[in-house]
Amino acid sequence: MSTCIETKQVSKIFGGLTAVNSVDVVVPENIIASIIGPNGAGKTTLFNCISGYYIPEHGQIEFYGMPIQGQPTYRVAALGIARTYQNIRLFGDMTAIENVMVGQYPRFKAGWVDAVLSTRREREEEKQAIEEGRRLLKFVGLEGLGDNLARNLPYGAQRRLEIARALANKPRLLLLDEPTAGMNPQETGKMTHFIRNLRDELGITILLIEHDMRVVMDISDQITVLDYGTKIAEGKPKSIQSNQRVIEAYLGPDVTSLTKKYQLRKKQRYDAKS
Amino acid sequence: MDKPTSTSTQGRLRLERYLRTFAGIVIGVFLLWRVYNVIVLQQNFGADTWVRFGLSGLILGGMYALIAIGYTLVYGIMFMINFAHGEVMMLGAFGGFFTFEALRFIPAPTLSNPEYNFLNAHPFISVLLAFLVGISISAMAGYFLEKIAYRPLRRAPRLILLITAIGASIFLQNLAMLLFGPQRKNVVNPDILDRGAGWIVNVSGNDVLISYTGIFSLVLSTLLMIGLYILVQRTKLGRAMRAVALDKNTASLMGVDVDNVISKTFIISGALAGAAGVMWGIHMGLVNHYTGFLPGIKAFTAAVMGGIGNIPGAMLGGMLLGVIEAIGPAALGIDFQLKDVIAFSILVLVLIVRPSGILGEKLSEEKL
Amino acid sequence: MRSSAVDKGLRTGVVFGIVIVTMFLIGFTVTGAGLVGKIFGVQSSYSTPPLVFFSIFMILVGAWAGVTASPRPLLEADTWNRALLAGGSSGAVSGLFSAIIGFLFGELNSNRIDPRTYLPSVSPESIKMFLFDQTPFIGSLLMFALMTGSGLAAAALSFYLRNNGAVRSSLRKASESVWDSIRSERVSNIIQNKYTRYASLLAFAAILIILPRTWGGYWNYVFGTVGIYIILGLGLNIITGWAGQLVIGYVAFFAVGAYTFALLTAPEPHHLMMNFWVALGLGVLAAAISGLLIGLPILNLRGDYLAIVTLGFAEIIRILLKSDLMTPYTAGPRGIRDIAGPTILGKSFISDVDFMYLIIIAVLVVTFLANRLQNSRTGKAWYAINLDETVARATGINAFASKLLALSLSAAVAGLAGVLFASRNQFTGPDDHALMVSINVICLVIVGGIGNIPGIFLGAFALKGLPEILRETENYRLLIFGVLLIVMMRLRPEGFLPAKRPELEKASVQNPLGKEA
Repeated sequence: MSTCIETKQVSKIFGGLTAVNSVDVVVPENIIASIIGPNGAGKTTLFNCISGYYIPEHGQIEFYGMPIQGQPTYRVAALGIARTYQNIRLFGDMTAIENVMVGQYPRFKAGWVDAVLSTRREREEEKQAIEEGRRLLKFVGLEGLGDNLARNLPYGAQRRLEIARALANKPRLLLLDEPTAGMNPQETGKMTHFIRNLRDELGITILLIEHDMRVVMDISDQITVLDYGTKIAEGKPKSIQSNQRVIEAYLGPDVTSLTKKYQLRKKQRYDAKS
Repeated sequence: MDKPTSTSTQGRLRLERYLRTFAGIVIGVFLLWRVYNVIVLQQNFGADTWVRFGLSGLILGGMYALIAIGYTLVYGIMFMINFAHGEVMMLGAFGGFFTFEALRFIPAPTLSNPEYNFLNAHPFISVLLAFLVGISISAMAGYFLEKIAYRPLRRAPRLILLITAIGASIFLQNLAMLLFGPQRKNVVNPDILDRGAGWIVNVSGNDVLISYTGIFSLVLSTLLMIGLYILVQRTKLGRAMRAVALDKNTASLMGVDVDNVISKTFIISGALAGAAGVMWGIHMGLVNHYTGFLPGIKAFTAAVMGGIGNIPGAMLGGMLLGVIEAIGPAALGIDFQLKDVIAFSILVLVLIVRPSGILGEKLSEEKL
Repeated sequence: MRSSAVDKGLRTGVVFGIVIVTMFLIGFTVTGAGLVGKIFGVQSSYSTPPLVFFSIFMILVGAWAGVTASPRPLLEADTWNRALLAGGSSGAVSGLFSAIIGFLFGELNSNRIDPRTYLPSVSPESIKMFLFDQTPFIGSLLMFALMTGSGLAAAALSFYLRNNGAVRSSLRKASESVWDSIRSERVSNIIQNKYTRYASLLAFAAILIILPRTWGGYWNYVFGTVGIYIILGLGLNIITGWAGQLVIGYVAFFAVGAYTFALLTAPEPHHLMMNFWVALGLGVLAAAISGLLIGLPILNLRGDYLAIVTLGFAEIIRILLKSDLMTPYTAGPRGIRDIAGPTILGKSFISDVDFMYLIIIAVLVVTFLANRLQNSRTGKAWYAINLDETVARATGINAFASKLLALSLSAAVAGLAGVLFASRNQFTGPDDHALMVSINVICLVIVGGIGNIPGIFLGAFALKGLPEILRETENYRLLIFGVLLIVMMRLRPEGFLPAKRPELEKASVQNPLGKEA
């Protein structure tokens, strides 16, 4: 199994604050990996470094062995890294299908001259783009809603549309920033299922930030825990759950006595559910 | 999937930075060569002329700085070029003009001179009144501008705010023209602030006139800038302003009344612009509806030059721009008609060579 | 509740009072009366319009104040009182303002003090009219009564219309039936029918061919200007409407086009005497290149810098054109004369009718271009940048290159407009390229409907055509534009004819694209 994305000793510093501190993350191909950590741990900053918004001060980011740090965002995107945002960021005044078509931008070549002359290339690409757009909308379950303005769609649909837009460029790595934020348990369950589907059906590697531990433990093959910009743990969900440092990071160092109780209660809840 | 051609680390951004630096060096060397040619080799002007230019540049720069602070404050908080800011200054200039005119018609006979008017009998009070009136008018203009035109658009895209600002600028300019007529009006100062009067200093054998109005403007603008700096750094309002500039949402969560702070920012920047306007009238002597337009754009240039959002930057930028504009045509050996071209070229040059300005921008990180 | 009605009335009254005082001080009361007279078919451009029209004008203003103040939505039972109180107080307060200003200036006037030294628009005639030809005291009383009365009456009327179910429902029914008939299937079938479409196109073409011949020179000139502004509007729309980057100094590119063309074809100052079509191409090219050069250092910076840099660029060009430095090359402030007209096979076509055709063709070409670009891949990228540049970059759009393209295309279109403008007038000078042109273009794009091609047509006709008909308002045109911009941005930022997004999903269902290819 080859490595999809790897960060090597990546650091990002804002003023005096080291938001990400020498973080190594290795994500093998075709798995679902999660980054978790308390608020302000530097998860989104790491995402932004990967997708090219920030240039890390130190370290390297390799995408299938190719260094990508410092490349402009649009090129990183064209290479096959797509992302969604913590607070949904769609092109609100465009229709849903147009959003998806914008997502396909790097896959096509027709320029403005083609558009003016309405060349064969332009017409064929446009046809393809619309068909692909419809297919993707159907895939995320938004069939028939394609001509609504994105901002008029309900919340859950917007989340899925954002993913559809990210998928439009046929990415090999998908970065999801809190995909289940603001969703009720039912929607969350659907979304979890949907994310797993993405990996299984499309073979996309998925890296996600998530606060909902149930989701994380449920779907992740690998979990990386950040705290104050540093990686404090990495591994399978099981090993993370019992990791002392992770528990301290979330609950504070003084609660070691409490953790046993916490784990016990958690176990009970888990048992009760199953 | 084909491999990308450029995989060099941090490639493009670094390349761009190099390109900008390179362009800066080329342009700088050319300008220096040109200046060297004119000043050292040709020696068209003596030292006295340079002193005269430099001084008038500093005076002008003080006014630019006051206006530029307004741009920077507003840009820092709202990410918006307040195009109408120059017009706010123009209203202040009219305020000063009309105060002088009104006081001129109030008789204040003294024993020695029975035809004395108030303006000359009490020049200090008159000047103070002119500034009070000018500053109040401009501060009010700023306040209402924000309240009527900008506040309803708090959540609108920036393009819409910008267009509104242009609309406000056009409106105010033409309102002033229709109200007061398109002719330039002569500002009649009190006798002690006569524009021809001043100290005479001898520089390399020639007399240089340091006019009272000029020194008055320069001192006053410096004082106002110091006052503003203290206000922003030391007072509660200043702290609130800085907090809002950094992050509106967090500031409002911390109990800062954002709307109120924005309002006060507009009042402060309006007041400074008004002071600059009155000074403009007193020193330059001519006022009309177009008075604010060019200084407004130039002051924005100054704000960008110093680093937008950065208050000391705006002061430095203003001063620098004033001096460059005054010395520039002579130093580069070009026509004096072209001094406005110099100011605008500086804007373009700054944006090419160092877009973040001399002292660096101080803007909140745009949320990704 | 009553006090709140009065409160609203008072506030509205103060606003309207200030507006009336301002209108009086800038002399708009006379113009307004003249406009009213024009509606009634009485031309009075040179003398002061009759008092009746002035009264009607003031009644209209008072009525507006009353309607604005009258309560809505309707909540309580005793709203008759509230409506009357609000309307009355609003009218009264605005009347008070008017009465005070009228009395003041009336007294000044009767003491033979001429306010025109400081307020040049306040002529004795306008003061006299503002006081209905009475003494200051009686005149201002009359004014107060008139405003209060019209405020009351208007509030009552609007309340009655709004509250009266019968009137309201019949109004709604009427409007609904009109809409239904427009939307009905039969009409839409007729519209979508291929033959009717051809027929209407043919009729349109015929109108475009015949009209310039029958209009005469004046209207050809007016609509030629409108046409040039349509081109400018379509051009600005590319960078501002679609890509979302405001360009204030748009006139700079217009000037580059016009001057390049003029210098290449005029006998003075260079005597190049180039062929019209070659020079046209070069003019457009020069404008496009200037757009590219301006955009290169700036477009990857903060978006709003572009606005001010282009403004600076426009000023630089204007100052340079006027300066002595450039006089040997660009003929200085005098401008360039005897610019070539269009030629075909050596035969020149410079009559106003021929030129009108040329402009119509140019408008059609640019419209065609814009229409093709609008929803293309490039167009979508522009719009994505407009809506959220960060995300657009993250979806793989090279925002810098896209914006640069938009600016160059925009500039090229402005260059074309400049060429046509210079060629039509056979003259161009620095004053043809004042900032005023840019402001006009920005206004027409925004009023018509930003990002929407038909909207720009509407805007150009409204902002360049209408003022030709309403010549009285010429002095106030820019003031009105300023107000229009502010009001439009607040109430209707998308313009009168807002842009619509295409329905791609549905379209592809109804009419599978397989057929087309």
